[in-house]
Amino acid sequence: MQIARAWRQQPSNLRLVGSRCPKCEALLFPERIRCERCGETELEAYAFGGLGKVFSHSQVHEAPCGFESQVPYVAALVRLDEGPLVATMLADVDPEEVRVGMEVEMVTRRILVQGDDGPITYAYKFAPVLKGI
Amino acid sequence: MRQVEITGVGRTCSEEKWSRGLVDLAVEAAGFALADAGGKAEPTALVVSNAYGGALGDQRNLAAFLATRLGLGAVETHSVSADEASGGSAVRLGLALVQSGLHEAVMVVGAEKTSDALPDRLEAVRATGLDAVREAGFGFGPAVASGLGMQRYIEAHGVDRALFYHLARTAHHHAALNRLAFFSWELNEKQYLGSPTIAHPLTVCDQAPACDGAAALILGKPTGDGPRIAGSSSVSAPTGIGGPIESLELPAASRSARDALARAGMTIGDMSLAELHDSSSFIAALSIEAVGLAEKGAALHAAARDDFVIGGRCPLWTFGGLKARGSAPGAAGVYQIVEAAMQVSGRVRSNAVEGASAAFVQCLGSFGATAVSHVIVAG
Repeated sequence: MQIARAWRQQPSNLRLVGSRCPKCEALLFPERIRCERCGETELEAYAFGGLGKVFSHSQVHEAPCGFESQVPYVAALVRLDEGPLVATMLADVDPEEVRVGMEVEMVTRRILVQGDDGPITYAYKFAPVLKGI
Repeated sequence: MRQVEITGVGRTCSEEKWSRGLVDLAVEAAGFALADAGGKAEPTALVVSNAYGGALGDQRNLAAFLATRLGLGAVETHSVSADEASGGSAVRLGLALVQSGLHEAVMVVGAEKTSDALPDRLEAVRATGLDAVREAGFGFGPAVASGLGMQRYIEAHGVDRALFYHLARTAHHHAALNRLAFFSWELNEKQYLGSPTIAHPLTVCDQAPACDGAAALILGKPTGDGPRIAGSSSVSAPTGIGGPIESLELPAASRSARDALARAGMTIGDMSLAELHDSSSFIAALSIEAVGLAEKGAALHAAARDDFVIGGRCPLWTFGGLKARGSAPGAAGVYQIVEAAMQVSGRVRSNAVEGASAAFVQCLGSFGATAVSHVIVAG
């Protein structure tokens, strides 16, 4: 079941694909099969640009089962430039340097390892936007 | 609203009860309630709430198994699960079964067994009360969400983190008077400020401790002078941790409180006490503001003024709340109503709210997305 779930979530996990409603133009993340705003059912796939800003952040010291190896990690709500808030981990950043409003971009990272024989889930995290290279 | 009488109540000690399983905890609390009701109408339906049992590999369809263990024979049963709002949902269903005339008497039991699971496993199951895929699947649980919320509350309202201490202090102060509480001791500021961080700035002392426990009550048509349910409402607002953290509001809690109080023909100012959902300091602060016991951003200042201590403006968590009585999540909503019923019927000793005539009760699930409220009045 976990393998099918990982397969099903590939577009959103790896390419930040959500949905766009052609009727009310709502942008939704993750994908939906029915518009939460107007009820439209013929939604279009919409790939978000992957840029956003930190809205709220917290350094996590005690994690739920499956995430212990990543402790301490920075959990954040990131406001995508297109509007939706995404619950995500931050990567490649000193926790002390994280600030509300910090510009971040989507990166692909290992999220969850389910035992020695289970699937390894890769998905989005967000990291400070690289500048001046 | 047609009032319904609470004819019997019972509860177990909130603790890590290694010697009891989930069904036995429920049997124990139900037995207390049946004994308390004495010879009043035998329940012909049973509603049981539990939040995590199925996910932890424990008994599912708990109501049917409990009915068997209680020797109730062939009765109508319902097993209810709505995250930490399960208990309130179960009471509301029991209330509807009596009000509709389908049953003369209904027993509602809430039970939870958390201590069989290791803490990280329990937290992973708790996390699935949030969005199981997009939040729990990315390392977010209720504690992480509350940490994010606390940080935002501090920044938006310009309060010092130390001010959150007064919420936990209030709960512990009342639990110290409740011999059945899990943390039956006073909490001082040094202990609070020195407790280990879970998700900055949220610490262990900002989080309700998970424990085992069960509570039960019997509902029937008003015939005696027992406490009554005068108002009830259940509301679910859009899910997702982003809403409460961004707005610093709990719309479901506000709406549910307003509806329940309106059905009782009362206001929050008429309440002698309130039992609110203090699963974390952040949720506690927002729920106080949502139900109208403090202006937005003012809950912590009110707690610091002792507004919520017994003897204050509106006592909260009079048996310790989730924070100090202990959090048996699927039973929490039933505990709250049992405790409120005891207060308004004058059956409490050391932690009594003297002369209490009405109590507001609210439990929340899925980070406040689901809110179930009840108004309990003296008979």
